[in-house]
Amino acid sequence: MDLHLTSEQTLLRDSAAKFIAAAGPKVARGFRGQAPGFAPARLRESGELGWLGMLVPDSANGLGLGLTELALVLEQAGRGLVCEPIGLAAISAVALAQGRTPHPMLERAMTGAALVVPALQEGAFGDDPLAPRTQVAGESGALRVTGTKTFVCADGADGFLVSASARDGPELCYVARNAPGCTLSATQTVDGRKLSTLSLKDAPADLVPSRQSSRNAVDALHNLALFALSAELLGVMEKAQEITFDYLRIRKQFGKLIGSFQALQHKAVDIYIKTEALRSLVFQIAANNDPYRIDPALAAAAKAKASEDALTVTQACIQLHGGIGFTDEHDIGLYLKRAMLLSSLFGNAAAQRRRYVAIAGLTA
Amino acid sequence: MFRHDAPAEAEFRMEVRAWLEANLPPALRGRTTRPPPAELMPWYHTLSRKGWIAPHWPRQYGGMGATLNEQIIMTEELARVGAPHLPVQGLNHIGPILMEFATEAQKAQHLPPIIEGSVIWCQGYSEPGAGSDLASLSTRATLEGDCFVVKGHKIWTTWAHYSDWMFALVRTDPQAQPRQAGISFLLIDMHSPGITVRPIKTIAGDDEFSEVFFDDVIVPAGNLVGKLHDGWRIANALLGHERLGTSNPQFALMALDRIKTMARASGVIVDPAFQDRLAAASINVTALAALFSHAVELTNSEQSPGPESSIIKIFGSELLQALNELLIEAAGGHAAADRPIATDFGEVDVATPFLQARRVTIYGGSSEIQRNVVARRVLNLPN
Repeated sequence: MDLHLTSEQTLLRDSAAKFIAAAGPKVARGFRGQAPGFAPARLRESGELGWLGMLVPDSANGLGLGLTELALVLEQAGRGLVCEPIGLAAISAVALAQGRTPHPMLERAMTGAALVVPALQEGAFGDDPLAPRTQVAGESGALRVTGTKTFVCADGADGFLVSASARDGPELCYVARNAPGCTLSATQTVDGRKLSTLSLKDAPADLVPSRQSSRNAVDALHNLALFALSAELLGVMEKAQEITFDYLRIRKQFGKLIGSFQALQHKAVDIYIKTEALRSLVFQIAANNDPYRIDPALAAAAKAKASEDALTVTQACIQLHGGIGFTDEHDIGLYLKRAMLLSSLFGNAAAQRRRYVAIAGLTA
Repeated sequence: MFRHDAPAEAEFRMEVRAWLEANLPPALRGRTTRPPPAELMPWYHTLSRKGWIAPHWPRQYGGMGATLNEQIIMTEELARVGAPHLPVQGLNHIGPILMEFATEAQKAQHLPPIIEGSVIWCQGYSEPGAGSDLASLSTRATLEGDCFVVKGHKIWTTWAHYSDWMFALVRTDPQAQPRQAGISFLLIDMHSPGITVRPIKTIAGDDEFSEVFFDDVIVPAGNLVGKLHDGWRIANALLGHERLGTSNPQFALMALDRIKTMARASGVIVDPAFQDRLAAASINVTALAALFSHAVELTNSEQSPGPESSIIKIFGSELLQALNELLIEAAGGHAAADRPIATDFGEVDVATPFLQARRVTIYGGSSEIQRNVVARRVLNLPN
């Protein structure tokens, strides 16, 4: 179903669609194995368009927009297999803007001159995002962070928003890439990008305060990350299904277009239903939640559904292509690989369902 | 979850809730099957006297002329209090069709009794040889003088054995190509000579539907709705109308509550494997609520949700079945009991809603037929 958008929102979506016209599978292939695996100039371009500061309040020189606008841009980023980490940069800017005086990195993070990304994960499965093993200690102004963060999208990053436990609960800390005691080790992902392990040993850090209206800075950023990834996965699913439906309309076997076969039609409709349901879910959450205070049950629900359905849909797209879908040369596999990466970040479907059980009280 | 009442709507909701609490007889609450007319129709009449029997009908025909949001509030509050399902063929099907296509005389004859609840209607579409392939229907109506003579056989006719009138699709031109072009829309008095009704017991144990035999039944030509051979278009014109009503997530939310109660009673609620499935189901109910809210938003903005909204019926009905599968799993050893199970958390009916849920992916166009339609009309896949 179409979205019910204002004319400003429609313009924003069109401008995002224009931006990704210069991205796409060919460009994404070009970045495979490169360092960094994206174009810093394009990140700055997205900053100039205002996207990296779109959720940042006017008072901190952002656009002061909401989750609907964020989702519209990230949906397009997913469609275009955009390699620039627009979503992670935009949600990090929100966190940096939270304090009474914004963090000094905010301005450069909003223009894309610098890249700050979240570093919230620790284990491969079952993290409680609000109880990190990483510790922060010391006096205000002289904080030190010790611990290990995993699955960090550290490629090209200048700093990290690290969740760490203090005496009174989790805190969000800014740690510079070049801080003493901060080391990174990267591994390659299936889609040619990098995930890093971030080791912190008494690394100096700044406290990133929570906004008054949010429960906790870590919670707010985590929920925002889940939402942002869900919107991007939606875009991946949409584009993969479009490519696949086009193929069903031109490929012939047994003297007929394969899209006329009922078995394939039903599979196509199954894909379509999943994509439509996720679109409604993402944009209904967007319309009913404040970026600083997303309902954690809804954030987990969206990421659970997006993670599972993006994998289901992109796998089905390969199946519907037949042999050609299994080749590296064909683009459809790129969408599966992007879905594999985004689904795994900040907790996969099973991990989100486990959190959802606790948050929604589905226990004795 | 996603929809919020405006102040006036919240007030309306409270008024409806209070009135339902005060007026719906306890014996009619929480029934998993529809009570027979002797039990149910007094409640219909109570709603009618209150002026609330037809929220979606315009005031000129005795309806409430309610906004879409008010209609949704009514549906949700009726579900919340556990109100039984009313016979809807008059209110939701033939009523709106008559308003759109009937003559003034036909409207004057048939609409007031629907509002009053003095007649019960049934829908005569399916036949033994025309289920999913409805256009192949063969019940003949032959025009002889100023009457049609009807001969044939209808089946899966909900409440036919209680009904006073049937609105039927009948074949008036056996040669027409396409076959849809030879079908007419006829109103048939169920008390006419030559009609035999045989109730059919369902797997859920009720006799909600029947088969109906027509043996040279005389129907006045004035009972034709619209033009001769134009019945297919008339029957399909308003199909989209009821979708939003039946896909209200309130029913799924109530099914979810039933699962939680049963799972706590049986103890399976502590099993992580079960919790995972319950979470997945609950997340899908959230997605249904989002789809519903999205479609309502588009309808309210006069930006039609379009043919793609038919996926809500597929998603919602298949979800309701998945929820009921989880319900019998939660019930464990109680799953096959043919009556409500007494638990520390109250009585829970398990087998009846599970069996009842089998029908939702069949009636109104099976899930498979719906998928065919979406593939062609929405995804533009080739024939």
